[in-house]
Amino acid sequence: MTTATRPALDPDVRSAYDAHLARADEDAAAALVLGLLDAGWAPERILLDLVAPAQVAVGERWASAEWSVAQEHAATHVSEQTVAALAAATRRPAEEGAGSIVVACVDGEWHALPARILAEVLRLRGFRVTFLGAHVPAPHLVSYLHQHGPDLAALSCMLPVRLPRAHRMVEAARLAGVPVLAGGPGFGPDGSWAAALGADLYASDAAGAADLLQRAWPPPFDGAVSLPHLADEEYAQLVRRRPELLRHLVDTLHERFPAMRDYSDHQHEATLEDLGHLLDFLTAGVFVDDPRVLTGFLDFSAHILASRRVPPAGLHLAVDALTGPLHDFPRTLAHLTAGKEGLEEAGHAHSR
Amino acid sequence: MTEHTERTAQPAPGDLREAGGPARGARRPAPAAPPAPAAPQQAPAHPEEGLLDLVDQAVVVCDADGVVLRTNAPAGRLFPRLRVGEVLGAPAAGPLAAAAGDGSDAFDADFLGRRLSGRRTAWDGRTVWLVRDDSAVREREDALLAERSRSAFLAQAGKQLGASLHHGRTVRTLVRTAVPVLADSAVVVLPLRGNRTTWHRFGPHTPEPVAGRIAAAVLEGVPRVADALSGLEPEPTACPWQELEDLGVVPQQLGEGGEALVIPLPGNGVPAGALVLARGPDREGFTAVDTELVRQFASRAGIALAASAFYTQQSHTASVLQSGLEPAALPAADGVRLGAAYRPAREALRIGGDFYQVDPRPGGGLDFFFGDVCGKGVEAAVLTGRVRQSLRTLALVEIRPVRVLHLLNQALLDAGEARFTTLVTGSARSAADGGLDVVLAGGGHLPPLVLRDDGRVEPVQIGGTLVGALPDPIFDQAEIHLAPGELVLLYSDGVTEARGGPAGYEMYGERRLVRDLGTCRGMPAGAVAQRVELLATEWLGGRPHDDIAVLVLQAPARTD
Repeated sequence: MTTATRPALDPDVRSAYDAHLARADEDAAAALVLGLLDAGWAPERILLDLVAPAQVAVGERWASAEWSVAQEHAATHVSEQTVAALAAATRRPAEEGAGSIVVACVDGEWHALPARILAEVLRLRGFRVTFLGAHVPAPHLVSYLHQHGPDLAALSCMLPVRLPRAHRMVEAARLAGVPVLAGGPGFGPDGSWAAALGADLYASDAAGAADLLQRAWPPPFDGAVSLPHLADEEYAQLVRRRPELLRHLVDTLHERFPAMRDYSDHQHEATLEDLGHLLDFLTAGVFVDDPRVLTGFLDFSAHILASRRVPPAGLHLAVDALTGPLHDFPRTLAHLTAGKEGLEEAGHAHSR
Repeated sequence: MTEHTERTAQPAPGDLREAGGPARGARRPAPAAPPAPAAPQQAPAHPEEGLLDLVDQAVVVCDADGVVLRTNAPAGRLFPRLRVGEVLGAPAAGPLAAAAGDGSDAFDADFLGRRLSGRRTAWDGRTVWLVRDDSAVREREDALLAERSRSAFLAQAGKQLGASLHHGRTVRTLVRTAVPVLADSAVVVLPLRGNRTTWHRFGPHTPEPVAGRIAAAVLEGVPRVADALSGLEPEPTACPWQELEDLGVVPQQLGEGGEALVIPLPGNGVPAGALVLARGPDREGFTAVDTELVRQFASRAGIALAASAFYTQQSHTASVLQSGLEPAALPAADGVRLGAAYRPAREALRIGGDFYQVDPRPGGGLDFFFGDVCGKGVEAAVLTGRVRQSLRTLALVEIRPVRVLHLLNQALLDAGEARFTTLVTGSARSAADGGLDVVLAGGGHLPPLVLRDDGRVEPVQIGGTLVGALPDPIFDQAEIHLAPGELVLLYSDGVTEARGGPAGYEMYGERRLVRDLGTCRGMPAGAVAQRVELLATEWLGGRPHDDIAVLVLQAPARTD
């Protein structure tokens, strides 16, 4: 809604900025942004219409195998430095009585930029904001809350695989009497997992969060945890049996693809890591009782594999292999079935 | 017999007074003593007529048309206007008439200030209504409900007050919790700090608590509050709230009249604050039951407030000390790109046994040091502070790095320090080719890693013994040259000894670090430091770990 009223971004500006990201040239990127500021651009617009979408494109370049992980990482670092330069240039003290907000990425969440942008947008809108950074451990958040007593904790989660840890953060903040705004795609396509975890408010992105908080201030404190399905213990069992399930997956794949036995240590580790992700997404989906966590992961993984010219049929095989050891977990089985069907519809089934 | 009936039918006045309370709001008036029953006109006397009076329920006998044939004495008390020979009617028989009218077999309703429950039976072709007075039971139920709601209020208040250790939040929660159950408006006046103090108020009709300040002189002019704050008056005292007007904290919206209750909030030896509760003129004043509830609330609130004040003071002390021990932000240095990452083992603490520092030199270039004190947590952090201070002082008198290490070694031994540290000190200055010349001297630290332009990774062997452990240590130094874009990485063993990985128990190890650093070609120093931290932390996968520190020095890349 807000984008419609803004004039379109000059494509030359964007391509110049993209070029700085590609070369990991932090000085040039910062100079460009500060130049825009001098030219009268609103800082919020620079953040939301230039830095944020350029960072999305960085992620896409990695996903399509155009960029290596290291390149993606370097570009992300440049984006962060750019936001820091912009923040330093526009910082002014908050007014007396301004609402105070602490922004943090949930434990395990490394994608700090969206949260950093949120922190700066909120600051520009007049809130008093502290940004605790990426991957904030719950004890660190809690000690901050007790020491500084902010009015709201804004927690960012980009991937649903972090939901069990996000839940502990939401719970810890609310037990300290601080309402929680959950933000980011990790909380579900419509934020429904945020509500289940007991968050008081949800926004999908920085602009949405800032608009919401300006409307709903002081923030409500009425969230309630709703995870009744955890009573069946399937989630706890999946966590406990992870090493055993991982071994089972590796054995199955070795049997099916004997070439894998000759993998180098590094390749073997990478395979273990990928299979570990599969288990972790499955587990997070069972935690919030929504098969979309697994199907979304499989969709994304199939895309990543395809762009690296690896046939995604291995995914189907792995999902199928889990139905054996998990045959007496009805809820988990439903997720696995949904995952298999999704892959089959996309034409990624393995041949038996 | 009549005595007995009286007692059951009408509770003692004392019972009634205990009932009501916050849950029910306005209290039901006690049933008016019924007028001496004008003996209902009875049907022709029957020899056993008096028998019915022995029944402790009201008995009303009607014929098929609803005409009252017979009643007993209790019926006369419950339905004083009921007459034999008349049809059951609403004015005289209330719910009984209604039940009879719509054919119900039972009713349960209020009539003339009593709670009545009746049921219909049949006898000898007639309708017999037996009606019991349940007022006393209801009063007891009300009292129980009120007691329960008081307990629930205290439990809820205790939970809310215990949530935060932040003093400001706790005091705001306190005034918010007291309204509306205890009063229309609640004010907390905090203990004096210097010659002024702060108050916080909530209600009536305010969305958020408001706060303000009072000078000591003004507070002294209102002895009731001043005495509660100083502990002189430990008991709750009630007064018209106008008496407190000089404080300037009682809200104008309450209107004329109304009562205030001033209560000290018991703290650690001295009151943690004074609570002023104000009720408007439309609300009943503070009863004995109310005051007892307020007293219990105040004791919970006082503990929470005192605990949060204590915590705030302690955490302030800790954070001041801590900020002196955290690694300082990297300086801007010409001709050198810097990057660092720091993740202490006890993450709630933000300090640990790893330390680093970079200082630009006045004539260009920079000095740096990087080390790891044995152990972790506060004890280790305190020694890092001492080592950093010593190094800074030594830099004033000695520039040869190996000599600095010997002096530091001696200083630590002389201080009787039981702990020791690993250390890399060094300096970097721009070289003619746009690269960097770096001198590294060390004692007992892991070899720094150089990332070359072609992606090769070379460890720099410095050797040397731990600093502060031996009287005759050996220290050595190495010199390296970094071409533009190349970098040297210093890291603590928290990186390579991170235990985890896909299998859950393997160490990340130098081999993986060398391999992963090789993929960082072309990345700026800051991104490399962040990436090494990320790789180690992802390897850990949430498991506990040692302090992790990373420092990167890089020669700026050529800009084409």
